[in-house]
Amino acid sequence: MAGTIRAQYPTTIRAILVPCAGRVGSELIMRAIGQGADGILIVG
Amino acid sequence: MLAANRNPNITTMTMAEVLEVDGYIGNFSVKVRKNPRYVYEDICTGCGACSDVCPIYMPNYFDENLSARKCIDVAFAQAVPAVWDLQTDWCVECYACVDSCDVHCIDLSQEPEIVEFEVGTIIIATGWDIYEPEEYGYGKYDNVITQIQLERIIAPNGPTLGHLKRPSDGKRPKNILFINCVGSRNEEHPWCSNVCCLLSIKNSKLIKSEYPDSNIVVSYIDMRCAGKAYEEYYKRSRDAGIMFINGKVGTLRENPETKNLIATMESIGTGGIIEYEADLVVLSSASLPSAGTNEIANILKVEKSPSGFLKEFHSRLDPIETKITGIYICGSCQGQKDIGATVNQARGAAQAASIPMTAGEYTIELIRAQANDERCAKCYKCIETCPYSAISVDEAGKIVVDLINCKGCGMCAAVCPSIAIELRYYRDYQYNAIIDTLFEA
Repeated sequence: MAGTIRAQYPTTIRAILVPCAGRVGSELIMRAIGQGADGILIVG
Repeated sequence: MLAANRNPNITTMTMAEVLEVDGYIGNFSVKVRKNPRYVYEDICTGCGACSDVCPIYMPNYFDENLSARKCIDVAFAQAVPAVWDLQTDWCVECYACVDSCDVHCIDLSQEPEIVEFEVGTIIIATGWDIYEPEEYGYGKYDNVITQIQLERIIAPNGPTLGHLKRPSDGKRPKNILFINCVGSRNEEHPWCSNVCCLLSIKNSKLIKSEYPDSNIVVSYIDMRCAGKAYEEYYKRSRDAGIMFINGKVGTLRENPETKNLIATMESIGTGGIIEYEADLVVLSSASLPSAGTNEIANILKVEKSPSGFLKEFHSRLDPIETKITGIYICGSCQGQKDIGATVNQARGAAQAASIPMTAGEYTIELIRAQANDERCAKCYKCIETCPYSAISVDEAGKIVVDLINCKGCGMCAAVCPSIAIELRYYRDYQYNAIIDTLFEA
């Protein structure tokens, strides 16, 4: 979406592809926070 | 409808209800209950001798209850099949019809029949229902009717044989007010019903051409006449002298003596409050998903949109398929649309369904859930979570994934506490590696 409207997003964002927002469980979220992520945005 | 019924490759089942659907594309098994008609379809000749002797009159639902029909009667003149039916709610079991029938096709002891069969693909076309207005005194004031009731009144085979008469005294209404967007475009039903603007124009134009001395006012929020030749049609109706007032009717009250209705509305175009006395008020009420939409969505496990209409795979790129492979939708069960759009979608759905049927095979992606029995703690959370009902348990208690119904969303993998069910190519250890690497830098 950001690409099609040619928007820019900060370099500090890390995009991870998931097949469906339902695939994102608490373990993945906790792991990302444990690795130092400040926030997690699940975009469906 | 008649052509479809006569096609040797099409079997129609009337008065039937789908009870259960199992399986997947190419192998759906369907269980249908055929409700009793109390008349044998293959024997009835449609002579109508039974209606002549039937002593019971009941409201005619096809005429929006504006006329009466016999308890045993044909649903409407063009009904397919053209076979009589008996309404048990009103029947007094006098058996006069049974005695009158020469071919002995009436049987009051008929029971519901369960039919099971196999199909390859399914198309849902359950249509829409009209919202019964609570606004503007509908049901309380005699001369407030819906568009569908007006359609029946001006139909040549309708209750008044096409003569425009108002319900209270049977006189011809001269001043007619149409109110658009009744029960739609509000908080409860936020959608536009799509067809009412054109329906108001069509019916007002029909009345005006039949009775040129009629005064017709259409009160609207927006006139939405998008589509081929629709805007021109709107212009022609304005040229014909139909008055369109931008402003919604605030109050409607009845004059108890004349049964006329006095509408108060604010005209946005000219400013100020208008009072208009109408002989007949026609409400364009909202379209709603048809009564059985919830049930059929649950039986077929098809998703619904927030509005209650059935949800398509993608609203613009794939408005025909559903998320269940092999099940297609068309017409107003998917969303509000006019006849042209319905025909387009119906043809599209028939074509889309015929592609896998002709090919005889169907290719699935490899992104599917995979169960690992050694790690499984048998909590069965995955079964509860799966939106496609693709996970089940076999006799030995092992988790089995139906690879055709599974759509590879990975919700089972997200809820599994012991990594016993995983999604191919999107496994936990792969995600862990991605997350760890991304945050290393």
